[in-house]
Amino acid sequence: MVRIPCDRIHTGYVTRVRIKESDQQMKPKTELTDSELLQLMLSGDEESFTLLYRRRHGGIYRFALQMSGSQQIAEDVTHDVFLFLMKDGHVFDPARGSVSSFLFGVARNYVLRRFRGEQAIVPLADDDDQQPFDQVTNEPGPLEVLTRTETVENVRRAVLSLPEKYREVVVLCELQEMSYIETAEVLGCAIGTVRSRLHRARALLLAKLRPADEAELANSPAVESARCFA
Amino acid sequence: MNCQRFESVVGDLARGQMMEADVRSEVLAHTAECSECGKRMRHEELLSQKLRSLAVEMNGLAAPVSIESDLLKAFRQPKNVPAPVVLANHSYRRYWLTAIAALLLIVFSVVAVRWRGERDPKHDAVNRPDPVRNELAVQPKEEKQEQAAVPKKEQPAKPKHRFTSSSLQAQNRPTRNKNNNVVSNHAEVATDFIPLGYMSVASLQEGGQVVRVEVPRSTLVSFGMPVNMDRYNERVKADIIVGVDGMAHAIRFVQEKRVQ
Repeated sequence: MVRIPCDRIHTGYVTRVRIKESDQQMKPKTELTDSELLQLMLSGDEESFTLLYRRRHGGIYRFALQMSGSQQIAEDVTHDVFLFLMKDGHVFDPARGSVSSFLFGVARNYVLRRFRGEQAIVPLADDDDQQPFDQVTNEPGPLEVLTRTETVENVRRAVLSLPEKYREVVVLCELQEMSYIETAEVLGCAIGTVRSRLHRARALLLAKLRPADEAELANSPAVESARCFA
Repeated sequence: MNCQRFESVVGDLARGQMMEADVRSEVLAHTAECSECGKRMRHEELLSQKLRSLAVEMNGLAAPVSIESDLLKAFRQPKNVPAPVVLANHSYRRYWLTAIAALLLIVFSVVAVRWRGERDPKHDAVNRPDPVRNELAVQPKEEKQEQAAVPKKEQPAKPKHRFTSSSLQAQNRPTRNKNNNVVSNHAEVATDFIPLGYMSVASLQEGGQVVRVEVPRSTLVSFGMPVNMDRYNERVKADIIVGVDGMAHAIRFVQEKRVQ
């Protein structure tokens, strides 16, 4: 409970602000919410900006990378998103969603703008793009590395080959592990739309990955099943 | 559970989403019974597994440190803090340009209208039809319609109906006399024009003249109007329309009425 001196209690609004301010002063900045950090950042606090950036830039970078398949675009988008936050962060409305959703929404707009502007065709065979995935291997055996890398690479290609509206749902729901609600906030659409797009996207991915899956399933033990009479 | 219902929930089940326990057990039971759905379920699970592994592979990725340092540099620059103001200035400039353009447009429009208005009187003096002639052009048509609707013998019974509001208005307007400067204080009340005989109204379309005359009050009887027999020898004013053929086509009776 925060104790407020009597002389600082005026109207309800001012009192509420005072409590917030004193809360912010008492809590270490690392425990502040994104929204509180954003407020402090907009008032010129550099430390708050740094904390917010370090907390959220990874997700934004990965989202842009998964959407575009290009490391360069991902870096540019990450830079632009936080620059936008610096300049136009005041447009964030907490009633419409979290800071995280807001940032992903901005990132999505920048990615789509890059697609539209440059008519970007995803460079699947670019050597630069392979680099990020090679960085995070935990040094297993060569065969395992080869198989795993190949599988992941196939999935990555399949995701990148999806149409934009399906790709973004797969990236947000499956790779960023967002809930339907959060995804709907980012995309600015209904939850039902997210569900149906994800369903369709998974069907497309299954169709693209079916040959590999068939081979994998052929090695696994078959399940005894009767004919479907439903 | 049937295959269609299975199709709608298989994605959620493969992704490990929360669902009702009954539905979950039904779906699993169905996959055991139906080979196609069982196969589909395994494919979905495999897909989820692959996507998860892709997500795990990419989890460690992050933007280079150089981006953070660039952003911090930008943050320290004072111009980045009031950026919205810069945008606002831009929009204000555009707003003022639009406002000035709109103002100029309005001023030019007003000037053009007034200039045209100054030229019009001369133009109108030549081309504008005489109000009396205009009235002549319209009046006989109305008269003809009225005559068609009302039999001539019934006219004496309703003489006051001929004093229409439009004719009263026309007569109450301040008029200029021939000296063209003095406004008359008098107003006139007049009947509608009454055709003289069965002449063609079409000839009146070509124009004519209105001649102010005085006739004996007893003349009113000829047109079915009531006459005060105490004043039968007095005169009343009348306007006669003389057509281009020199013949009198219609008459109306006029009574002076002082404007209050």
